Amino acid sequence: MRSLLELQRDFAGALLGAGGAPRMAVYRGNVFGNWHGALAGAYPVVRRIVGEAFFEAMARDYARAHPSEDGDLNEYGAPLARFFETYPETLDLPYLPDVARLEWLAHRAYFAADAAPFDFARPTEARLAPACGLLESAWPVASIWEAHQENGRPERVNLGSGPERALVHRPDGRVEASVLRPGDFRFLACLQAGDALGAALEAAVAEDAGFVPRVALAAWVQAGVLTQ
Amino acid sequence: MGRLGAGVGLRAQHYPEILGGARPVAGWIEVHSENYFGAGGRDRRVLEQLRRDYPVSLHGVGLGLGSALGYSQAHENKLRDLVAWVEPTFVSEHLAWGALAERHFNDLLPLPFTREALELVAARVSRLQERLGRRILVENITAYLEIGPGEMHEGQFLAALARRTGCGLLLDVNNLHVNQANLGRDPLAVMDALDPRSVEEIHLAGFFAGAHGLIDTHGARVAEPVWRLYDAALARFGAVPTLIEWDTDIPPLAVLLEEAAKAQSRMESPHALAA
Repeated sequence: MRSLLELQRDFAGALLGAGGAPRMAVYRGNVFGNWHGALAGAYPVVRRIVGEAFFEAMARDYARAHPSEDGDLNEYGAPLARFFETYPETLDLPYLPDVARLEWLAHRAYFAADAAPFDFARPTEARLAPACGLLESAWPVASIWEAHQENGRPERVNLGSGPERALVHRPDGRVEASVLRPGDFRFLACLQAGDALGAALEAAVAEDAGFVPRVALAAWVQAGVLTQ
Repeated sequence: MGRLGAGVGLRAQHYPEILGGARPVAGWIEVHSENYFGAGGRDRRVLEQLRRDYPVSLHGVGLGLGSALGYSQAHENKLRDLVAWVEPTFVSEHLAWGALAERHFNDLLPLPFTREALELVAARVSRLQERLGRRILVENITAYLEIGPGEMHEGQFLAALARRTGCGLLLDVNNLHVNQANLGRDPLAVMDALDPRSVEEIHLAGFFAGAHGLIDTHGARVAEPVWRLYDAALARFGAVPTLIEWDTDIPPLAVLLEEAAKAQSRMESPHALAA
């Protein structure tokens, strides 16, 4: 009698292959349906940009290139941005990898831990709230993201409007992406990298003469981006 | 536990309905464990609110108790943390495998009913119960084909698992019906093999009749033959807490509640055993 491992190896081979027992097609349909559904859930903007039919075909290629490694489907799809960098079918959309990066940050933000309130007695221990993510792109990535939300206006995006520095965060439980000025981006990026508050503020001032530490601190505490 | 009555499987689509209206609308609710593995955010807040108003049960879909290679300790840890936080009424998992080494299939794949598979699953269930500090329920799945020859039938396997580990069973009556139609397994033989005291929860759902047989989509109302099988289950196991599951083409909560009300009324007056 074949061992359990041998049976599971055979089954996996048949599932990933073609032909075989007619009902293996049911498993193929279920398994791909789960992966496709997870990818579509994490990347709604990419899906709107490329269209549903193309997205489904792409999801098949993606599944072959990046097998699922986790029993939790919310973890599925992390390397999609990397996949797009060499995927021949989307090389004519050079901003797509960064859009995917931003969407993964937004996906992570949705599930991230809640932030502890900022402690004014210990301002030097400030750090970024767990839901926050930062992305510096050669493309207007946050504007593309915003325009492709439900009720967005994709036709209004100007792809030639230049680079954007984006912050993903979760004020009041809703995930948002906003465009940052260079100083604010440097400040938050330094904090994210673990720099001390003073060093982060100095780096921001050096990068952006318009960055006013007192104003920025108040604004980011107010926005729930700075936490303890 | 009969007092729990009929409950519904809750999905994120139902949040506005269940949070907005009068409550409680159902005897209890069940959610997929993995949907709440995140450390924070909206889902966690909603669940925190719901468990104040309802008994909540956690139903896992991704652990893969029977994966010969690739059982994830990290996944088990996340489940343990969630169980400690929710303190659910039931914790359930499936009699299935889902991973092979590093690769995950994210589906409930069928096990052979062999002594070797029983050894593996029993060891995993025992250890999981130790780590969670509580009993779990194990559910029978839909199988679309037999992965290999068995040394016992499904009911004998489930009964032996419950006997050896002390775990409870979650009997999915729709799966029994689907497996009868697709594989010719006898649902009454499965039920007869089980110790009535071990069955602590029942699942009901709808299937789709496709070209390859019945597909367990959880996307329709409970079918008539499944209601008849449910009556037989009630006659054998008593008024076991029963859950309506719906996972594809999810309708308004009211439709699930209608199905739950049907289950509730059958539970209160069990019909005679169906022939």
